[in-house]
Formats: sequence, C-alpha cells, structure tokens
Amino acid sequence: MTTVGIPRALLYYQYYPMWKTFFEHLGVEVVVSAPTTRKTLAEGAARVVADTCLPVKVFTGHVISLVGNCDCIFIPVVRSLKRKSYNCSKFLGLPDMTRAVVREAPPILEIEIDINQGKGRLYRDIYRLGRHFSWNPLKVREAANVAWQAYLEYRELMCRHGLTPPQAIDNITSTTQAPESALDYTDLPQATIGLIGHAYLLYDEHINYQLIQRLQQYDVAVVTPEMLPGHVTEAAVNKLVGKAYWTYEEEVVGAGGHYLEGGVDGIIGIMAFGCGPDSLMMDMVHRQATRQKTTPFMCLTLEEHTSETGIITRLEAFMDMIYRRKQRGETVCV
Amino acid sequence: MKTYLGVDVGSVTTKLALLNESDELVSHVYLLTQGKPIEAVQQGLREIRRQLPEDVDIGGVATTGSARYLAGVIVGADLVKNEITTHAVAALHYYPDVQTIIEIGGQDSKLTVVRDGIVIDFAMNTVCAAGTGSFLDHQALRLDMSIQELSQRALTSRTPVRIAGRCTVFAESDMVHKQQMGHSVEDILYGLCQALVRNYLGNVCLGKEIAAPIVFQGGVAFNQAIIRAFREEIDIEVIVPPHHEVMGAIGAALLVHEDMAASKTASQFRGFDQSEVKYHTSSFECKACPNHCEVAEISQDGHALARWGGRCDMWERVPTTQLQLSEESK
Repeated sequence: MTTVGIPRALLYYQYYPMWKTFFEHLGVEVVVSAPTTRKTLAEGAARVVADTCLPVKVFTGHVISLVGNCDCIFIPVVRSLKRKSYNCSKFLGLPDMTRAVVREAPPILEIEIDINQGKGRLYRDIYRLGRHFSWNPLKVREAANVAWQAYLEYRELMCRHGLTPPQAIDNITSTTQAPESALDYTDLPQATIGLIGHAYLLYDEHINYQLIQRLQQYDVAVVTPEMLPGHVTEAAVNKLVGKAYWTYEEEVVGAGGHYLEGGVDGIIGIMAFGCGPDSLMMDMVHRQATRQKTTPFMCLTLEEHTSETGIITRLEAFMDMIYRRKQRGETVCV
Repeated sequence: MKTYLGVDVGSVTTKLALLNESDELVSHVYLLTQGKPIEAVQQGLREIRRQLPEDVDIGGVATTGSARYLAGVIVGADLVKNEITTHAVAALHYYPDVQTIIEIGGQDSKLTVVRDGIVIDFAMNTVCAAGTGSFLDHQALRLDMSIQELSQRALTSRTPVRIAGRCTVFAESDMVHKQQMGHSVEDILYGLCQALVRNYLGNVCLGKEIAAPIVFQGGVAFNQAIIRAFREEIDIEVIVPPHHEVMGAIGAALLVHEDMAASKTASQFRGFDQSEVKYHTSSFECKACPNHCEVAEISQDGHALARWGGRCDMWERVPTTQLQLSEESK
C-alpha cells in the first residue's frame, strides 16, 4: 500500500481530517510527522536561508523527519480561497522550495487551490491528485465528497464544542466521544482571553512555549479563531477593513475584530517575527483596540529564542493587569 | 521591627529594598549583577543586614526581575512577581495620580499606561535590546569613560548630531563616522541619548497615549542627558522618583506586604545566613524526549533545591528525590 506523508505544520491544523479522509478513501495510508521538537526546528532552520520565517523552517524540519517513512509527501498550494484574496508567497512556492532544500525527499504530491480560476479547474485538479491512486474518476469524486464532509464535521467539532484543532483531530482519530467542554480547567476560569493568529502558531506547542497550557494555569479560559463560525469572522473582517486581501485574514483580523466587540477580557495576538502579512493584519487589530480602549491587546512575536523568559514575563504582566482591572471593576460596581 | 524585603535581580544590576510596616523605605542596596545573580543576591543580603539593627524581623520577601525564579529559591520568596507589575505598583504608591510610567533598564525598556490608578496597557521592547541601558554602557565603554561621565558630558552639548538609534550596530557606525568628521564628543554623546529616546518613543510607545504625570524609573533615569532628551522630545515634565533605581524592588516589597497581611502566614524567608551558603548551579540537556530541554539546577551541599527550564514538569516536580534518574538521563 502507498503511504502519503503529511508534515505536522502550516496548513495541517486547518485541513488534516479532510486530507486524511481523501487519501484513505483512495486506499492510501497516511502518516503524519511527530509534533515539533527542538530537533525538528534545528534541522529545518539549517536547510533554508536565514530570512525564512519560523513556520516555514518548522515545516521544512517536518518534511525532513518524514523522509524514509513514506512514499510521497503531500504539499498542497493554497493560492486563494475566495475571489481576489491571496496567500503569502511562501505558501505558493512551498513544494518547489521543499524540493530544492530537501533533496532526499520522496516525490512531492501537489495540488493548487485557486478559486480565481473557477470551480471547473478545481475539480480537474482534485481529479489529477486522485489519479495517482485510482484510475476511476467517480471514485476520486466520491473521495473528495467524503473528505469535504469530514472537513465540515471537523469545523463543527471546533465551533460547537469549542475544541482546539489538535483536540478535534484527537477526537476524530480516536474512538472516544466528543467531550462536553473542550479545555480542562482545574478551577473555574477567572477570565477569558481571545487568541488571534494562524493555527500553525497557536497550536504548535514547541514554538509558542505551550502558550495555551500556560494561560490555563493562570485560570484563563482560552478562545481561538477556529472556534468561531466562518460567517462571524468574515463579518468582522468586512467591518474592520472592508474586503479581505489575505487568504487567512479571518484568523487574525476577523477573530480580533469579533473579540473586540465583547465577550473576552483581553486579546493576545501571536505572530512570527518577519511575517509580512501578519505585520499588516495584526496592526489593524492593534489600532482598533487602541481606538476603542475597552479590551486590552498584546502582541507576542515568536522567533527561534530558546529562552521562554520573555514570553512568560509578558504573559504574567498581561494577566496581572487583567485581574487587577477586573478586581477594580467589580468593586466599583458594588 | 517588622519589615518586608523586595529583591529585584535584573540583567545588569541587582536591587534590594526593605520597607517597614507603614511601607516606608528603611534601607536599600543597588549593585551590579555582573552575570552572577546568586553572588549578587548574597552580596545584597549582606549589605542590607549591615545597615540594619539586630531586632529586624522579615515579615515577607518577594523577588522580581529577569532572575526572579532563581533569586526566589535563594531567599525563600513568599512571592515571585514580574517586573512590569512591580514597577507599576511602586510608581502608584508614590504618585497615585501617575498616568504614564517609563522604565528603562539594562536590557528591557517598558512603557506602562495607567488610568485612574490602574494599569490599562503596557508595552515592552521587542526582539532586540537597542535603546536600553546596555546600549549606553557599551558606547561608554568604547569611548573609555564611565557612564556617569557620559551623562555629564552629554549635558554640555550645544549642537547635538543626529545618530541612528534603531540598531546598536548602525548607531555605532554613525558615531564613529561623526567622530571622524570632527564633531565634538559631547555633541555625539547627546545625539546618542536623543537617539535612544527617539527609538524608545517610536518603538515601545508606538500607538500609545503618553499623558502627564510621567514617572521615569530604572537605572537609566540616573542619566540627566536622557531626561533632558525626553523633556525636549515630548515637551512634558518627566518626574524621576528619589529611589527610581530600586522601584522594582520596592514594588515587590509592597506586593508581598499586601499578600502577607491578607494571608496572615509566616514568611518563608531563609534568613540572612543564606548569604554565606555555597550554592552550586549547573545545567544539563535532558535526553528523555527529542526536545532536549536545557534544564538548569541549583543545589546546596549536593542536594538539588530547584530545577527549571524544562518543557514538561519532569524535573521540577520532585527535585530532591529524582537524583538517581537524573544521573541516568544526563
């Protein structure tokens, strides 16, 4: 049986259940690289030019760790998911870049998703991808439909049950039932923090220094962009900046704009140092937060620091500020 | 006399402050960390004790600053608090109507925005340390003068030259270039101070509202030329508290006083004798998983007191009983 390797990085967090279902329906075995470790990052960073952003370094490390464990590696190119919105060039060149820097990698399976080219093109590309494993167009079509269903269920798990992507993936791949409430808290949460940023930063515990877990230790309930339904984040983007330009703008501007309307005690934005699109999008949220002056906002920039002190100091101070504010607010009300 | 001790171990200096029951500063110590935080804390404890009468009772001790966890183990801290919060608490204690707190230390520069006596926003320098105290220190060293001399000579400048302040490397090449052109050292030094202030305002304060009263604390507030540059740039009077350099330690002491009064428990302070104890620090790479965390350990007479730096709590959980396991994994 053929094995397809999927790097646990970048778009994995958004689409893994969909990809897995598609390939398995065509009789292909799917392997995923292990969670990021220091080794993954070090190996990835050693191959690419120094200016490359942190998430792409991590991605390259994951590809390296898949070498020898699979027959081919799946690297989709998501160019555009909506008319006239575009993705960062690092996503567009990912398969080519990988071939160039990881020469020992097995063949790379590509598919380009570009809505600007029309649906016909998309269907043809899906068929081309499936043809590697089945000659039967009907079977490929069926696999694609089942995969789409799996994606919708995955979204449902996150939106309705408030699961984070890793929890939802665990839930799908294991046989246990969906838990009633998503994140486990030892005590009742004292505050709610909205996180904004791309899934590959929010859920990669290695590069974000276990951010979500740390926040939970401060008795904080965490909400993330994936827990918001698409129409909510889209509406927030429209309200804040008009039409979205970047493909994954909803995760930053959409979620940020939505949180700013209420429901959270503070917002923490996570971005990678040197990320072009993020520097523009995070700023939109920051400016709006400054204008409104109702919800505290803090942006944390991730890089290859091995020391977590900087992040911890800022998180502690941010939570101190929020708790002191809440305390004061309550006494004023009384 | 019942007192509360705050210990602030920063990247460049170590500060200790002792408050009495009515939160008045009884004594304080300010010394260089010199890359040896443990020795600095011990030295600080020794000096504080020398200044005190025999009947002093420590009702609570808190640590802050970048080495707060390490210092917390040595003194037996009742509270370990980040430096942003402690600085704000101290500023609010002395100036209840403060609206903006500027704090420039060795490797961090911070801005805290306060409204109605409560912190509503803060910012900290991002990835690099340009525009902090070490930037000035480094230049003073290069020009072979003390930091005090740098401050005094910069003040005499009449026509400051413009220096790029974004990056220490660029600033240095700018300074060298201006020196070779024949500008006076005083003008270059004041230009450097202006660059630091511009960098701080354009980087840390970006998008923040700076309203009076402004309190300026941290070691860099010793530098009169920086204060002048701030006044010129923002056109608002900047207040420098009398004990601006130990404000972090004072804030820590204030917080632990508040905490101990609420909890009514005895302090875990390990006593002034700790200053004579030999501590040993070491680190190792844990091989239990592919993360290869760098775990740091502090021990006394061969017994591990604490460990930290791991991604999981494997080493922090039971520091003393896992010695055997640690030998294997090392």
